[in-house]
Amino acid sequence: MGESLAYGALVPPSPHGVRAAVGRVLRLGVLASTGLLVSGYALGLVSDPGAFTSKAVERAHLLGKAPFPHSLSALWSGIGRGSGEAVIVAGVLVLILTPVAGLVTSAVAFVRRRDFLFGAIATGVLSVILGSFVIGWLTS
Amino acid sequence: MDLIELSLLLFAVSLLAGVLGSLLGLGGGFVIVPVLSLALHLDIRLAIGTSIVAVAATSSAGAARNVGESITNLRVATFLAMATTIGAVTGALLSGVVDPRVLFTLFGLVLAFSGLQMLRSRGAAQNPSVGPDLAHVSAMRAKEPVLGDGSAKRKDRIAGRLALDSAYYDEAEEAQVPYVVANTGLGLGLMYLAGTVSGLLGIGSGVLKVPAMDIAMHIPMKVSTATSNLLIGLTAAASAVVYFARGDIDPLIAGPVAIGVLLGATQGSKLLRAIRADRLRVLFVVALMIVAVQMLWKGIS
Repeated sequence: MGESLAYGALVPPSPHGVRAAVGRVLRLGVLASTGLLVSGYALGLVSDPGAFTSKAVERAHLLGKAPFPHSLSALWSGIGRGSGEAVIVAGVLVLILTPVAGLVTSAVAFVRRRDFLFGAIATGVLSVILGSFVIGWLTS
Repeated sequence: MDLIELSLLLFAVSLLAGVLGSLLGLGGGFVIVPVLSLALHLDIRLAIGTSIVAVAATSSAGAARNVGESITNLRVATFLAMATTIGAVTGALLSGVVDPRVLFTLFGLVLAFSGLQMLRSRGAAQNPSVGPDLAHVSAMRAKEPVLGDGSAKRKDRIAGRLALDSAYYDEAEEAQVPYVVANTGLGLGLMYLAGTVSGLLGIGSGVLKVPAMDIAMHIPMKVSTATSNLLIGLTAAASAVVYFARGDIDPLIAGPVAIGVLLGATQGSKLLRAIRADRLRVLFVVALMIVAVQMLWKGIS
């Protein structure tokens, strides 16, 4: 990498393709989760108005008994039953994973542009995050 | 209060948190957690679980456009993410070892200090009519030909090797703003500490990441907040999975918060492109002082 080039030309050094690809994935994640969140709400209000108009503040004190899906299996069965709550949870999960999807995209895009150093850095960050997913899931 | 009213309230608060979060490079937790726990008396675990969702929303919606337009520096973010994510894991492993009250006090003091530093360091010495960041740029432009032919030695070799320097188009100045990244080693160390603090205290640490980039690494204010915004989403994702599995993320609370923050953060990222850098700095310092008071309060009470 020519230092004088990075200095003199002052061209944004990140190849535009990488940034555009990451931006696209982030926008897609935001759109998908917004869609799930809004439709989950609509579904819940139509199919289960009782739960959706109960006193949520009281419900919050039930914490620990967590009456909403918080494992993947409960999430799948909830979506199967057409539960609005489960669809909202799916939207939240998509949202949480969107930055990680952006990171995966950048790792792939860097490698494709033969920027192996940054490909390796992005992959390293990804493995730390995936490692903490595993540790977190096992210890909770 | 029934759920519809609660949802509308959460939506309104989150809209504000999203705008401020994506504008200032913070997660918005400093707005959401006090409202949820103090005003609505929700369990603190639920409040923190919800705020983690808000961080993910701010980050994704804020960075969605700004990455493509180079306001977010993707290379700097990727490079610094090494330190913040490893720091977050360290913090999570250390939690329970250190008394959180001592940490909150320490953190509050560090924030107050960095706030003062941010106001003093680059604002004061420069021509006030030009504004700190524009002055910085014109100083750089003057140096440009000297550096271009290689007669001046580059201060930071890591930043050169990794090609971290970049430029962004500033809508407020109507100019392309080039910048040179400095002190990458120091920046990496500070990011590790910021990650550790967020792992230990369960807070997003944009308030530490922005000053680290702005003061230590000489990255322009707008790029610092936008890059911090992308970084906090990655750190949040790692801990959000734990909160989800523990049942701390209630869809009926996190749902309206997520929708509000997504909309707010999209607007906030537009505002970030249009705002003047010196005003952004003042706004950031105000938010930083609010967080400092919150943290000191937690440490003392």
